[in-house]
Amino acid sequence: MALTAARHRVMAAAAAAICATTALTACSSGSGGGTATADASGPLKVWARAANDSPKAYQAIFDAFTQKTGIKIEPFFTLTDFETKLNAAATAHDLPDVVVNDAAQLGSMKTQGIIREIDKSKIAGADKLAPGSWDSASDLTGKTYAVPFSAQANLLFIRKDWLSKLNLQEPKSWDDVATIAKAFTTQDPDGNGKADTYGLAVPGSTSRGYVSWYWSTFLWEAGGEYFTSAGGGKFTASVNSSPAKQSLKWFEQLFCGTPKVVQPSALTDTTTETNKAFQTGVAGMYYTGPYAFATMDNSAVKGKYTVVAPPPGPGGAKTLAEGTNIYLMAGSRPNAAQKLAEFMITPEAQNIGMTKVPAATIVRLPVNTTVDAASAHSSDPRWTLAQQVYKDQGHYEAVNMPNWTQLRQATSDDINKMLSKCGDSDAALDALNTKLNGILKDQKVAAG
Amino acid sequence: MAVRTSSAPVALPAQRDRSGTHHSRAWRVYRRLTPWLFLAPALLFFAVFKFWPSIWGIWLGLFHVQPYLGDQWVGLANFSKALGDPDLRAAVGHTVLDAAVQVAGSMLVGFLLALLLEGAARHVRILRTAVFLPAVTAMVAVAELWQTLLYPGRYGAVNSLLGDVGLGPLPFLSSPHSSLWTVMLVQVWKHAPYDMVIFIAGLVGIDRQLYESASIDGANAWQRLWNVTLPSLRPITTIVLILGMIRGLRVFTEIYVLTPGGGPGGSTESIVTYVVKNAVISNDAGYASAISALLLLTTIILTSATLWWRRRREDA
Repeated sequence: MALTAARHRVMAAAAAAICATTALTACSSGSGGGTATADASGPLKVWARAANDSPKAYQAIFDAFTQKTGIKIEPFFTLTDFETKLNAAATAHDLPDVVVNDAAQLGSMKTQGIIREIDKSKIAGADKLAPGSWDSASDLTGKTYAVPFSAQANLLFIRKDWLSKLNLQEPKSWDDVATIAKAFTTQDPDGNGKADTYGLAVPGSTSRGYVSWYWSTFLWEAGGEYFTSAGGGKFTASVNSSPAKQSLKWFEQLFCGTPKVVQPSALTDTTTETNKAFQTGVAGMYYTGPYAFATMDNSAVKGKYTVVAPPPGPGGAKTLAEGTNIYLMAGSRPNAAQKLAEFMITPEAQNIGMTKVPAATIVRLPVNTTVDAASAHSSDPRWTLAQQVYKDQGHYEAVNMPNWTQLRQATSDDINKMLSKCGDSDAALDALNTKLNGILKDQKVAAG
Repeated sequence: MAVRTSSAPVALPAQRDRSGTHHSRAWRVYRRLTPWLFLAPALLFFAVFKFWPSIWGIWLGLFHVQPYLGDQWVGLANFSKALGDPDLRAAVGHTVLDAAVQVAGSMLVGFLLALLLEGAARHVRILRTAVFLPAVTAMVAVAELWQTLLYPGRYGAVNSLLGDVGLGPLPFLSSPHSSLWTVMLVQVWKHAPYDMVIFIAGLVGIDRQLYESASIDGANAWQRLWNVTLPSLRPITTIVLILGMIRGLRVFTEIYVLTPGGGPGGSTESIVTYVVKNAVISNDAGYASAISALLLLTTIILTSATLWWRRRREDA
């Protein structure tokens, strides 16, 4: 992320340097952005949060679009500091025309005033999209601020060779998950005679809010929610409800019970290290998304694992759903931008995004209901399951809050702190609830 | 510097006097400007990329920053929030502890290394280069290696060695009780060679005659170290201390890559990682700027205080 910033004495100074140098261009160009109706000339500027092989897949879609419409695209891809760079562009009032980014950024981008509202009825093909996918594209009052592009939901990855070695069945409930995790930790499933395996791989770092992101599945499966609506776009935090407390207590047992069943470095691991823990046979279970099929199949764990729907908790079967959205920016080419969005949700573009670059499925699950993920991936049944789980169990984070990432960070900080001390989970949630209500107030969406 | 190299006809004072006051004033202005002209490129560079952004950053601290919609003036609200922020206070505590331990540790280890590796022989030079390697290696790559070596499980490299002698496994970076200490250890490993080089430069500058006369006076090795080497290294020590302090207060990379997200239970959150968290995740560049401004102020005060203290001691 902001590693280069380390060289600067002060992070803000670096940001300000960009502001300072780019502000001049903004003044001289005199373009105000906002509500332009006629399109300016020149290529359509499109930014996508992508790295490694993903830019190739995006480029394939853009090429197909240019061929069809004659509209040229000037793409920009980055993973590191995407939001920081976007901030700099916003400061300079020189925004791109289209941004493809996580749905989790919706509230934040809307609050900053850099994305435009979308009239769903005027988007060609909008009716073909899965209704659920629009959940991650609307704000607190239900207005649409993005076009969904890709969706996904977490599945449970399990080492099937370990299961069969220990004569265990696939898990059907939380208890099963706990039992298997314990067996994987204590019964030497890899048969090397050493106690060096663990039950569950968890990215428990506070970085990017990972631990909260991962815990969310259990929170919802217990029947809890982060917030309850008080109507009129106002909310109260509800992470100290009894289902929430039950789920965190269960989650804490994985870290602090005897034996400890998560990988030893869990509390500082992000998904990179956690992927490695599953790939190298350190941990035998892992809740992660279908994009990990490619990652895992590229490693020694290929063929040794199976995927199942996350087993239900006391409050039912839920799982973390996420999406990638197409944001039309408050830039200068609204018509061409909308055309691109319309193209990106067509079966043609969705298929390119799924299969053109096998190592980078930028369309994880198609949002277009007329496209079948499994048939696109040469009838891989795992994709059928992924699509089914997304439809039946998928639950989005509170991405339409004015700044969800801030709320998620606060949650992660507190949960990580509690887990690292093996502290009182109920008290931690009571304190967190107060904290979240404070942030809701700062974001001007607190009830009462 | 530059002034001396200008082709001034210093040998002709009489001639200049005859040419009248006007010429001599222009001459004086020219002479006064010359150094600035030589400095101008660097100054301009610093002004654009350092001074102006720093001032702008302090100014931003007075706003609720909204890049697109326009910034909102909030006066000193960000600064007063910073003064009462418990998370920031914890970050300051970690930073100060980290700075104190790693600066002292690096200086001590660096000084010992310098004593061992001073000299011009070829094998010493090779050894010195080897020892210096950590200082020039990219921290991100180094952190990746340390993370692997210090893996908290039984099969981590360090832990499996410890296991052979019946210890561990130690959690290292993954426990809130040991994460900060582990980070400090890596910092000392990384920075001690850097301090070593400065100390070696200092050691080379010590007059050999001082050692000789001390020997003649009957001083043993320990007494020579205490009464000759250390006092002679005082100015160098000041430099190493100040550089270390500045480095310590703005510590970021080591912590950020070894323990992403502030470490287990926020146990390694430092001031600058907290600034980044606020700027990037909470999207509150105004608050982040305010903290940065306070950090800058603290650094300036501490540096000035150290310089003043050293100068007073050296004068005495």
